[in-house]
Amino acid sequence: MQTDRRDFLKLTMVGAATLTTISTGASLSGCTSSGPASGMKRLRPEDVDLLRALTPAVMKGKIRPEDSAGLDQTIESFDTLMDDLSEPVVAGVQQAFDLLSFAPTRGLLVGQWSSWSKASLEDAEGALARLKDSSLGLLNAVYAAVIRLIISAWYLIPENAATAGYPGPPKRVVGEVPATAKAQEVAP
Amino acid sequence: MIDLSQITLNNSTDPYNKAAERGWDITDASKLEAPLELEADVVIIGTGAGGGTAAETLSSAGLRVVMLEAGPLKTSSLFDMQERAAYRDLYQEGTGRGTKDGGMVILQGRSVGGSTTVNWTTSFRTPPETLRFWAENMGVSGCSVEEMAPHFEHMEERLNIHEWPQAPNENNAMLQRAAEKLGYSWEKIHRNVRGCLNLGYCGLGCPVDAKQSMLTTTIPAALDNKAKLVHHARAVRLFGEGEAVQGVEAEALTPNVRGTTGQKITVRAARTVVAGGAMNSPALLLRSSVPDPHGRIGKRTFLHPTTLTMGIYEGGINPFYGAPQSIYSDHFQWQRVDTGPICFKLEVPPLQPAFAAAFYTAAGEEIAECMDQLDHTQCMIALMRDGFHEDSQGGTVELGDQGQPVIDYPVDRYLLEGVKRAWSVMLEMQFATGARSARPAHVDARHYTSWKSAKAALAELDVVAHKSKVGSAHVMGGCPMGDDPERSVTDSNGKFHHLDHLYVMDGSLFPTSIGANPQLSIYGLVHKLSSQLAAQLKA
Repeated sequence: MQTDRRDFLKLTMVGAATLTTISTGASLSGCTSSGPASGMKRLRPEDVDLLRALTPAVMKGKIRPEDSAGLDQTIESFDTLMDDLSEPVVAGVQQAFDLLSFAPTRGLLVGQWSSWSKASLEDAEGALARLKDSSLGLLNAVYAAVIRLIISAWYLIPENAATAGYPGPPKRVVGEVPATAKAQEVAP
Repeated sequence: MIDLSQITLNNSTDPYNKAAERGWDITDASKLEAPLELEADVVIIGTGAGGGTAAETLSSAGLRVVMLEAGPLKTSSLFDMQERAAYRDLYQEGTGRGTKDGGMVILQGRSVGGSTTVNWTTSFRTPPETLRFWAENMGVSGCSVEEMAPHFEHMEERLNIHEWPQAPNENNAMLQRAAEKLGYSWEKIHRNVRGCLNLGYCGLGCPVDAKQSMLTTTIPAALDNKAKLVHHARAVRLFGEGEAVQGVEAEALTPNVRGTTGQKITVRAARTVVAGGAMNSPALLLRSSVPDPHGRIGKRTFLHPTTLTMGIYEGGINPFYGAPQSIYSDHFQWQRVDTGPICFKLEVPPLQPAFAAAFYTAAGEEIAECMDQLDHTQCMIALMRDGFHEDSQGGTVELGDQGQPVIDYPVDRYLLEGVKRAWSVMLEMQFATGARSARPAHVDARHYTSWKSAKAALAELDVVAHKSKVGSAHVMGGCPMGDDPERSVTDSNGKFHHLDHLYVMDGSLFPTSIGANPQLSIYGLVHKLSSQLAAQLKA
């Protein structure tokens, strides 16, 4: 999502604008932290809780809720991915996360009334379905962005990419002449 | 399948390894500890298809050229063909660029060489239909098929553009077979490569400099001609006096190009050429508050909005390997020019895993099952030709609150009708070639197992923005050329209508989308415009 805070507010009609106002309120009133979580470059503590809940739903069949090592690795990959985006894009993602983390909007929008750290896999799946099926374009956009980022973070880990039947790219040799076979050169 | 992961590549092709020997003047602005002031005959802002071409033409005429590039200098010895590093280093906003409401993802290059460093090498001359439309409807002069031909010939020779002689990979071959089966026209694609190893990593930076990108060809030539290159330098605003633009002020970016270091770069030049690409070029003009009496800057920006279907086959496809694009079909592209529903070009994309997964519009068990079969997956894309019909006015580039370009391009009903029609065409093609299942890029879609069931499901899908995946890799327009100042930003020579000594030379000049992958259209047009400018300055 390519948005700054103000643009995000303009996203859609009155309903969505009201909801984002609440989310902006959440940030301003300190309900969500401004700094990154310990060990993270970009993800805030609330973002980590949110991703810990949503990732097993988005990557069902690949990662289970109790697989804490796999979750840690995916969240770390997500954090690196966030750090590779531009500042305006990061701001947009954080705004979407605020919407999903701030208790009133979290409950109203996706039906998650307790905190994400208490959410079950079914809760997370239900929340994603509500974003996907919403009649508000804003929430559909949040759904598309959230799944795209989580899925990308997971497949950007080379051993996960291998599960797609992808052997990986050729090897590079930096600073030395290669010893092994060279691919067929093509003319011209 | 040849398992390319077993191959080891030499890194000896990188021309930048010999920069010192060749006497190249390259400044990494992130390392500046004091302001930098430069003077030139011409300052060129941006080093992509437009800036790279202009730099070679102008410097070889003996003019003193300074090239400014906001992105980093990343060269072939650093290209490891890993998705993460490429998306971080070589794409605008780390591939996070999109339209304002999040409706479309935009892939655009951002390093020395611009999008030519990461494009898929597909090379088409501007279609005659497009050139005629510009002449007849958009007030463009001097760009007829005949007038453009020598410039296309020159650039085809320069960049070794030729029909790809090897067999297409299975991903492309399936497009050819489907077209043959259903009686659609198809052709082989021309590519700007020399000594290509058929690896398939064009989108992540060519590791062997086979791709004849600006990074590999015209920029080294310009450096040989004593042009200066300053990278990590983002143009902030143009400056001048009275009616004349006199140069540009830029700011130095941090090594990861995400922040500024506080150092300033000032380039004074007799002529200023804006070539930041559509989005960045109009944004620079807007930040500079240049006169825009008719409010044209940033308007009519086009994207070739693109959607896709995925088909899973019994046999291996291995869409991550092999020349990314070698076959296309224009069967649905020129049925009409500016009337009726939107037309589209059919191609295929390379599918490295994170890229494929991000475009799947599926989550949960479905994405896992789909992606487990990526090596058996074929992907069709339809690139919609926007900007011709009166209902297709494109998007608008505006400035965000950090001065960055933001494009507002709603995915409207005219476009969505095209998306749905393209899905239908592409799904039928996949089933006609024996796909076990196929799926359009919609969040509620499934992998349908027959053309009949797919057709029935398609009729029920709620085809709206945000639920239908549409993206873009071709940003065009926003500073359209033309002879009428009320409808264009520059004249047909690329000269800004309302100030002197200011030119635009990149894809933002296009008054509509191209209707084909745009790199050769940019090369040809900019070769023409920069040759004219060189002749003027040497006169």
